[in-house]
Amino acid sequence: MVKHGGWAGKVLRIDLSTGRISTEDTIEKYKDYLGGTGIGYRVIWDEVPTGTKPFDPANKIVFGVGPLAGTGAPCNGRIAVTTLWPTCWPKPLVASGHMGGHFAAELKYAGFDAVIIEGRADSPVWLQVVDGKAEIKDARHLWGQGIRRTTVDINQQMGPEASVAAIGQAGENLVPMSVVINSYSHSAGGIGGVMGSKNLKAIGVRGTGSVRIAGDKGEWEKVVKLHLSLLGSVNQHVVPNSPQPWAEYYSDTRWVGSKGRKWGSANPNIDTGACDPHNLNRIAYRTNNAAFFLGEKAWQYTVRGNGCSSCPIRCHTMLKVPSVSSKYGIPAVGQNTCVGLLFGRDFFKTFPDGPRGQTAIEACMVGMHLADDLGIWENYGQMQRDFQQLYYSGTIKNKVGEDEFKSYSWDQYEKGDPTFLFELLPRIANKQDELATSLGLGTGYLLERWDIPERDWQQDQKIAYWKLGHPKHHSSEEAGQCGVIINTQYNRDVQCHSHVNFIRNGLPLKVQKQLAAEIWGSSDAVDAVAAYSPMNIYKAKMAKWSLLRKELHDSLSLCNWMGPWIASPLKERNYRGEDSIESLLYSLATGDKKSREELDEVAERIFLLHRALTIRDMGTKEMRTQHDTIPDWVFTDPAGKAPYTKGTNRMDREDIKLAMDMYYEQMGWDKKSGSPTVAAYHRLGLGDVADELTKRRLVP
Amino acid sequence: MEQKEEIRLIIAKIIRERSETGQLVQFEELLTELAAQGLLNSDVAHQRSHFEGVLRQVVSENEDIKELSGRNRIPHYYSSRSLSETYAGIIVRKQENSLIAEIVRENSAIYPRPVPLNIFREPPFDLTQEEILDCLERMGKQGEYQDIAQTTTSIGTVFLYSNQHLDPAYASTLAEWSDVGQVNNP
Amino acid sequence: MDVNHIFSRREFLLVSGVMVVAVSAPQAWGAKEAPLIIMDQAKGLIIADPTKCVGCRRCELACSEFNDGKASPTISRIKISRNLNFGPKGLHTGQPGQGTWGNGLVIQDVCKQCPHPVPCANACPNDAIVVIPPTNARVVDSNKCIGCKMCQKACPWEMMSFDSDTNRATKCFLCDGNPKCVEACPAEALSYVTWRDLTDKVPPRVVPTAVVSPDKAQTCNDCHMK
Repeated sequence: MVKHGGWAGKVLRIDLSTGRISTEDTIEKYKDYLGGTGIGYRVIWDEVPTGTKPFDPANKIVFGVGPLAGTGAPCNGRIAVTTLWPTCWPKPLVASGHMGGHFAAELKYAGFDAVIIEGRADSPVWLQVVDGKAEIKDARHLWGQGIRRTTVDINQQMGPEASVAAIGQAGENLVPMSVVINSYSHSAGGIGGVMGSKNLKAIGVRGTGSVRIAGDKGEWEKVVKLHLSLLGSVNQHVVPNSPQPWAEYYSDTRWVGSKGRKWGSANPNIDTGACDPHNLNRIAYRTNNAAFFLGEKAWQYTVRGNGCSSCPIRCHTMLKVPSVSSKYGIPAVGQNTCVGLLFGRDFFKTFPDGPRGQTAIEACMVGMHLADDLGIWENYGQMQRDFQQLYYSGTIKNKVGEDEFKSYSWDQYEKGDPTFLFELLPRIANKQDELATSLGLGTGYLLERWDIPERDWQQDQKIAYWKLGHPKHHSSEEAGQCGVIINTQYNRDVQCHSHVNFIRNGLPLKVQKQLAAEIWGSSDAVDAVAAYSPMNIYKAKMAKWSLLRKELHDSLSLCNWMGPWIASPLKERNYRGEDSIESLLYSLATGDKKSREELDEVAERIFLLHRALTIRDMGTKEMRTQHDTIPDWVFTDPAGKAPYTKGTNRMDREDIKLAMDMYYEQMGWDKKSGSPTVAAYHRLGLGDVADELTKRRLVP
Repeated sequence: MEQKEEIRLIIAKIIRERSETGQLVQFEELLTELAAQGLLNSDVAHQRSHFEGVLRQVVSENEDIKELSGRNRIPHYYSSRSLSETYAGIIVRKQENSLIAEIVRENSAIYPRPVPLNIFREPPFDLTQEEILDCLERMGKQGEYQDIAQTTTSIGTVFLYSNQHLDPAYASTLAEWSDVGQVNNP
Repeated sequence: MDVNHIFSRREFLLVSGVMVVAVSAPQAWGAKEAPLIIMDQAKGLIIADPTKCVGCRRCELACSEFNDGKASPTISRIKISRNLNFGPKGLHTGQPGQGTWGNGLVIQDVCKQCPHPVPCANACPNDAIVVIPPTNARVVDSNKCIGCKMCQKACPWEMMSFDSDTNRATKCFLCDGNPKCVEACPAEALSYVTWRDLTDKVPPRVVPTAVVSPDKAQTCNDCHMK
């Protein structure tokens, strides 16, 4: 047996019903699936039968990383969590979440590529993993505690370096809209309740081992430095947000660092400066997501960037807002990124001092403090959008009893007073009343419970709902048909950024088209935002590439919020990145040489397995009509503009039909049903899957 | 011979050092600097025309040394090792009435995108609120700037665009996307 | 002159122009090899700014991967992970003051390339820690190291690493003058500067518990006793 680098070599299996702990050989069993979601989908396919529900003991949770996790490859600090999804409506289906932080790396150093959690413990437990050995430990004293108390408690037992992933009260109470969090602010959405249903309070990992690089260490150093040299800011935006001395271009990107913009609450403050992309010692100063999302005011409160192990980008922002301790009694320091930062703010329609003022920032601080301890999930802001819609339409008032309605301080809410969150969020975590319980179910089950037709949600662009109980995630509003195709393919909001990282990278359209021609075959693959042209085959190729690379990243352990890296900030490269960077890193780290095409084929296998699982558990092969659906709002425009005119994101139904045709064709699937053919499964080494689906008559 | 070469090397060095600090060097400044270093003789009138020739040679000898003039035709020099043509162009045109219009047109054409008004208060533009408003007022009255238009987003941010490149509906959609949409799609 | 040349104290003192009053018997030239005492200062030093550290751990990864071909914060000769979550005091002295769970400050632990007397070198029973020019970093000679870990016990800042794959101690050797951690830091939190003595400026992490062997200790007399 060839000894590979990269992989730790072992998968840990924990049966909480029997207490049995066992291990498997990663390479023997899962090499063709790489890791992460690859292992996740394979385990769910092999071991979790159709009809299993997310909170059943028969459901499994697969925490998986890939061969690159824990190495010096940039942006590898993520772990995928695969399971049957509690908020997937009307029928639970397989889906995956991800969390960053340091957990992924620590798991590798502890000697494991994945942890499979099975069954249900009789009473609350936590799992301790230390250097190859696992132990199920009593967590009864932790049950009822928040994520932060739990983490500190376990760190006291395991030492300060241990990485702890824990659920809060929301997960314990089987609230579907719940998370597991490690490293203070890094959450994997949607799975808190699944852990809670298994009585698994937390996993603590400590590893003193190493991840071996199979290839020559000098070669490895070169590839890592190449990758670093191609990095932009967060989301691989390669153009700065304002004119910089070194830059040919400037646009409304997330590369916000510049001379005069300081980490104001660093002690002493630090000017982020011009951040020439050739200076790899200043990568961390390019990004400030708090400033991007909360406005310029956030700079004065910025202590520093934070984020996952190995990543120089630091997309989490650590904020220190002194006013919140006296006003709300919460710590002055908080941190998160993107939607996590906005958790508190997005509930409110308005603030006394505007969307970018002090109060909005305070709402963010309160939201993070509560949500990241109670362990509540927001489903990419959908909970907040639902809440606003339901309140202002009078629905909440109708649906909950008069007493319950009166028990909320709605005047505070309407004024934009963050104090309101202290009423709402703990109730959600504890399923305390009708409103809280309903919000905690997730949109699909909420609509059902309150007799609201899903169609209502699918008409309104503002609500941003897509299907199956989840919202859109980078769809037609920025990527036209490519975005629509991508958003049809999963069982939760699509966690795919391959396409949007490119589209929003700030390069002028002409340059984007040049790069697009090289990657997807024609400059027609990309349009300017809100100036879409009719469908063509290159957009389908881009959609396929985007989806495959997402699965590749989720299985290798690379961050799909940063990759792929097809563009770079370097004028001397004509802003080209390196489309083969994943294959270069993978081949050197593992010693298993795979070209870009070969690695993309492995990604396709993993993606196909997700498709197969969805078909199997939906019990239909009519994916086109039953699963790959598109909400009505995609085909509308608030001002009635026609599709494919400038100034609208409106799609045309016939054109989108063609888009799906072309996409299915690119994938080698049956066009009418949108289902992979038996040949497609065989081509990717999924013959056993084809057999099973054939038995169930679920192949075209 | 050697001394001339030495002067050209010094000129290149001054330009590069100045570029590192984000600034360009004007013709007159170079003359002054060289005189201060005692490298020019006292016949200034003669020096000027001779000097133009020397500078041309410096530019042609050094791949990174570039010359750029604004509307006033005063030559500025910079090194592309430190400054991009885009950035140098902004610095050179900073005092010109047409700067805002040209920036707005460029952005509307190439990305394409409308430009938030407050970009002009930031470096490297560094204009005051009054200067910007004055400029807008002037542009409104002058025929050659009739293409410069405004749009305001739902949260009150003003964007400028050129309707030569963006029609009003498109510009308005792009401004809303830039200011509000991107934040709402994290 | 080879800075690690083991020679008698008398020779050294004669060369450096100091008068020798007495030479202890076990040190008689030719009877037994005299122990190695490092006296030459290091020329360079890595210093770390905790107010800039962003906790990415790329320094640890560069150190271990680019030098040893494996990613291992445990082996890394610059140490972040142990302070990352709760600060150097960890969780056992009350509320976490620093680290991600405190005020955000990440204290980077860096080898001070101690001046004479060098604790790790003096603790080594095999004289395996030597000085390597031109940086004069204090470096573990893995051919001589027997993996006893006495050096680990001797360092007040717990900066010695131990590679359990090779069963050898290892420590910061300044990467021959181009430290990889400094190169790797994306926040400019690390610098490589001219050596200066930080041993009395950085609080120790532990109370060192190694002892200096008697024959090494005896040599103090040779230099210092007048």
